Amino acid sequence: MLKEIDTDVLVIGGGIAGAFAAYRARASGARVLLVDRSYFGRSGCSALASGVYPSYMPGDKVEDWINGLGAGPLVNQALLVKSLPVMYEHLMTMDRWGVKWLKEGKQIVRMGAPGRTFKNGVWMTEGGPQMMMAVRAGVLESGVEVLNRVAVTQLLTSDGKLPTEGQVIGATGFNVRSGEIYAIHAKATVMCTGPYKFPYPWPGSTLGYMPVDLSGDGIAMMLQAGAELSRLELGGINLNPDNLLCAPGLESLMPSGAKFVDKNGRRFLADYDPKRMEMTSRALLYFAVAHQKESGKIPSMDLREISFERLELLKKAIPIVISSYEGLGLDITKETVPYSYQVAGTAGIFGAGARISERGETSVPGLFAGGTCTDLAYLPGGHLPFCSVTGHWAGETAGAYSAEAQPDPLVPRQVEQALRDIEAPLKRPDRVRYAPVHRRLGELVMEKVGLVLRGDRLQTALDELLALRDDEVSRLYARDPHELAKVWGLMHYTRVLEATLRAYLYRTESRVAFIREDYPVIDNVNWVKMVIVQKHKGSLKLWDEPLPESFHVVPVRPTQHMHLVFRQSEGAHAVR
Amino acid sequence: MPYVEVNRAACTGCGVCVETCPPDVLRLDQENKAFMAYPEDCQGCFVCQWDCKFAALKVHVR
Repeated sequence: MLKEIDTDVLVIGGGIAGAFAAYRARASGARVLLVDRSYFGRSGCSALASGVYPSYMPGDKVEDWINGLGAGPLVNQALLVKSLPVMYEHLMTMDRWGVKWLKEGKQIVRMGAPGRTFKNGVWMTEGGPQMMMAVRAGVLESGVEVLNRVAVTQLLTSDGKLPTEGQVIGATGFNVRSGEIYAIHAKATVMCTGPYKFPYPWPGSTLGYMPVDLSGDGIAMMLQAGAELSRLELGGINLNPDNLLCAPGLESLMPSGAKFVDKNGRRFLADYDPKRMEMTSRALLYFAVAHQKESGKIPSMDLREISFERLELLKKAIPIVISSYEGLGLDITKETVPYSYQVAGTAGIFGAGARISERGETSVPGLFAGGTCTDLAYLPGGHLPFCSVTGHWAGETAGAYSAEAQPDPLVPRQVEQALRDIEAPLKRPDRVRYAPVHRRLGELVMEKVGLVLRGDRLQTALDELLALRDDEVSRLYARDPHELAKVWGLMHYTRVLEATLRAYLYRTESRVAFIREDYPVIDNVNWVKMVIVQKHKGSLKLWDEPLPESFHVVPVRPTQHMHLVFRQSEGAHAVR
Repeated sequence: MPYVEVNRAACTGCGVCVETCPPDVLRLDQENKAFMAYPEDCQGCFVCQWDCKFAALKVHVR
């Protein structure tokens, strides 16, 4: 059964970016509907984030933010500066909404975080879950309507085409429990669906499943609609303890005295950044741990020297992380926590996804985006404040856009086709099942992509992905609406992965955690550029664009030097 | 695989965990107690344990 809804602004995704997008759009007077595949306040990464909102605060030196983030030349530093006061505004808004910060007197307690040369972490007393429930309450109070448990499948367009030459005018989706189908007509649509990442099983690991909420759906839908994507190749890697999917918290743990050690108990960061060690840039920290894992040195986190008082504080600030360690059966006062990594995703280092303007506009009219399904307007990415700020910009712009917009009605032919597409996996007779296809995609990423990339392997991975897409993903069967959401997630993920692999192949240098064995040089002469991917008719088109000089508060030096991995003595080349 | 242990004596059937579980794993059974309807999708995120006001849920991740 089809349910049609009409709204001014449709926000897809209920993490912190979606929350601020909805709030700002509502503040402009628009009717706002927020749709979440899970439950607004609990879904995605924000509630599971480490309870740290590393905000700018008045008095901070702007240069410290630029240098401290290790932002590098691919960041729009001018925009970073512009985002700082908005972060602080959000901090105050959330304080008003009842987010429980850890305070000493009236002062919010702050602490250092990896890569920071100043104390800019901010802690919540009750962690990410408390933060997002308070945010949810604040957003609901402003009059935003919410539809939970609805998975959005595609965007609707004024010309009925994907990619469109017109504008985005809403989306279709279905309830993941009842199967009820929705066609939502909106004057403006804001995508805030978060990053994507693909957890896959390590030998001996139980981690062989895919979270239904990190499959890159929004990125895929924007690509289908014709939006330009950027920075996919720089999305980076993710770290998690072995067998765990959700255990962030490095930004609280590292400054508290946690250390990364190899199987011999040696602090291996000495080989990567002897000066800053675990407080090195986030990118290098992630890479170093992954590199050790790949080299068979079994990296693990050692929390044994954290003081009792600090550990008690951490239990309040990052309860889910500490619970996770306990859930693994580890006594963190006596044992270290083994770590793994995931590649080919965007939750880790940089934002990657829809290319957005400083106002949160994508390249398609009527479509706006914020948070980690975007390239974060070239901000460093990954942190909650950058998500809330880009969500804010997108919501504000979408609200103003909707006040002027007079969108065409939905195109019946497109809606009818979308409804058939939604239900197709429920009706497939040959019953290709989800689990084995998901596993094969995981193996493909692990075996053919890996941490250190090489052109020939990437091409093989791409060829195999396309075969898998055509032969199996497109024929997946779903036994009920719950599984239908997973099937749609896998279809979307396949599209994003194809775009990512093509972007990997396009960038012929190494940079941050993007390491190409066949192009080992960090090339600031030729590659201070963005790689753009766009769907054009049936296929993906790629090109590059230099970053304007106006981006750089700190000028970029035109250097070419070997990536650290290839400069290291023994061992580095043994990887792969 | 991670899994959720339900203390049936403590579970009041309030349904909060069913409402909030991010990957939609939990449902209430015929006796109004939480159970894992889709155990293969549990991501071990601890949200249910966090949200249960009756300490009826415990997440195990191995």
